[in-house]
Amino acid sequence: MTAAASLKTWYWWHKWTSLVCTVFLLIICITGLPLVFHEEIDHWLEEGKPYAVVDEGTPRAPVDRLMASARTQYPDEVVEFVFFDEDHPTVYVGMSPSHTGDPKLTHYMRFDAHTGEMLHDAPTAREEQFTFMGMMFALHVDLFTGLPGQLFLGFMGLLFVIAIVSGVVLYGPFMKKLDFGTVRKERSRRLKWLDLHNLLGIVLLGWMTVVGVTGVINELSRPLFGLWQATDLVELTSSYHGAEPPQRLASADAALRAAARAVPYHRVISFSHPGNMFATPHHYMVWTRGDTPFTSHLIVPVLVDAATAEVTAVARPPWYLAMLALSQPLHFGDYGGLPLKILWVLLDLLTIVVLASGLYLWWARRKATDARVAQLTQRQRQPQAALAKATHAREGSGSGAIAGGGP
Amino acid sequence: MTLHRSSFKKVWGAPIALAALTCIGLLSALLGAETWHWVSWLCLAIPLVTGLGYWLRPRKKA
Repeated sequence: MTAAASLKTWYWWHKWTSLVCTVFLLIICITGLPLVFHEEIDHWLEEGKPYAVVDEGTPRAPVDRLMASARTQYPDEVVEFVFFDEDHPTVYVGMSPSHTGDPKLTHYMRFDAHTGEMLHDAPTAREEQFTFMGMMFALHVDLFTGLPGQLFLGFMGLLFVIAIVSGVVLYGPFMKKLDFGTVRKERSRRLKWLDLHNLLGIVLLGWMTVVGVTGVINELSRPLFGLWQATDLVELTSSYHGAEPPQRLASADAALRAAARAVPYHRVISFSHPGNMFATPHHYMVWTRGDTPFTSHLIVPVLVDAATAEVTAVARPPWYLAMLALSQPLHFGDYGGLPLKILWVLLDLLTIVVLASGLYLWWARRKATDARVAQLTQRQRQPQAALAKATHAREGSGSGAIAGGGP
Repeated sequence: MTLHRSSFKKVWGAPIALAALTCIGLLSALLGAETWHWVSWLCLAIPLVTGLGYWLRPRKKA
């Protein structure tokens, strides 16, 4: 393949991968803006009563008591998970009509970690997705359709990554005769936006690639977790195979204490209740994380026997779950304080400029080509010959034509 | 394509440097705290400021 032909191929890939994914990427970038600040916004929009301000050293209410209180509210439902807020003294207890039903029927109650008082009784996940932040999340992650939407947007993310790679390949010939950062503002609007598209695209290269790739990995979280459940987890729990789930469950507090002893230097984030899709029928699945900046992003699940509250296994995650765990902070930008979040938003805004200018360049060039064809058709008696001549002339000018907006 | 070392550096020098800074910025806040957060903010701000700077700088006189 000649250099010109291979350039044409790269251009074809850049154009089509971009065209297919741009509308979805624009939605993702725009909805991503508020999601960067979701912790702040969620806390700001938080409904319900405030937690009690207590003296330091005040003991926390037992988790068993919070779960009992939740069950009193919804006697026909089952507990799915318990989540311990690290920033506020609150505990979330999630319930649903059944462990095997629609996960969107799950809802949570927020409790005061010290007094045990219920502060807020939230609507179901299905209703939550129509709140402002819920809509932003659904449009960003699954277009309200669950797994199919996640896989679809994951594929759009993959196209975005291909568009980045092909864009980088095209950047070389485009910039051969130009200084880095050249923006030709004085000639045509199209040329100015072409230069800006190239400039912003290349300065954002690292960030867009990392956020794009980690976004794709996050969209694969369910299949990746399913793979772990079907392999490692089955092996770890092989001695329970075929056994009836326990009739009476051990205390959740005892299970949490056992898990904490099994992984010193780890903090318990949450646990999935026996029967929940992320646990097993025989185990509390206690989710912990390390206490250094790096290991705090790596999640280590501890399986605790639901009948005896004894630790069955500390499930060191395989590489693909570690990759998934690290993909979250690198995608969300929530791991370096408020300044990092602000940088994330600014980088996201510039990405929107790259996407929109790419769309504009395609559109403007299309219009320019159409106009040129119409002009030629009108002028010439033999439009075919004229077109051939025009095409020939344009190709003859080589990379200059590409630098001016492509063939 | 034959590229001279100097022309390669001219085209790719700045992009490679900016991508490297981005990687350092993304990783430093992941691996460390306090000072490393500052390193991260600085390294990620440089590509951003570079892009905006060239975009918004006043038009050169011909």
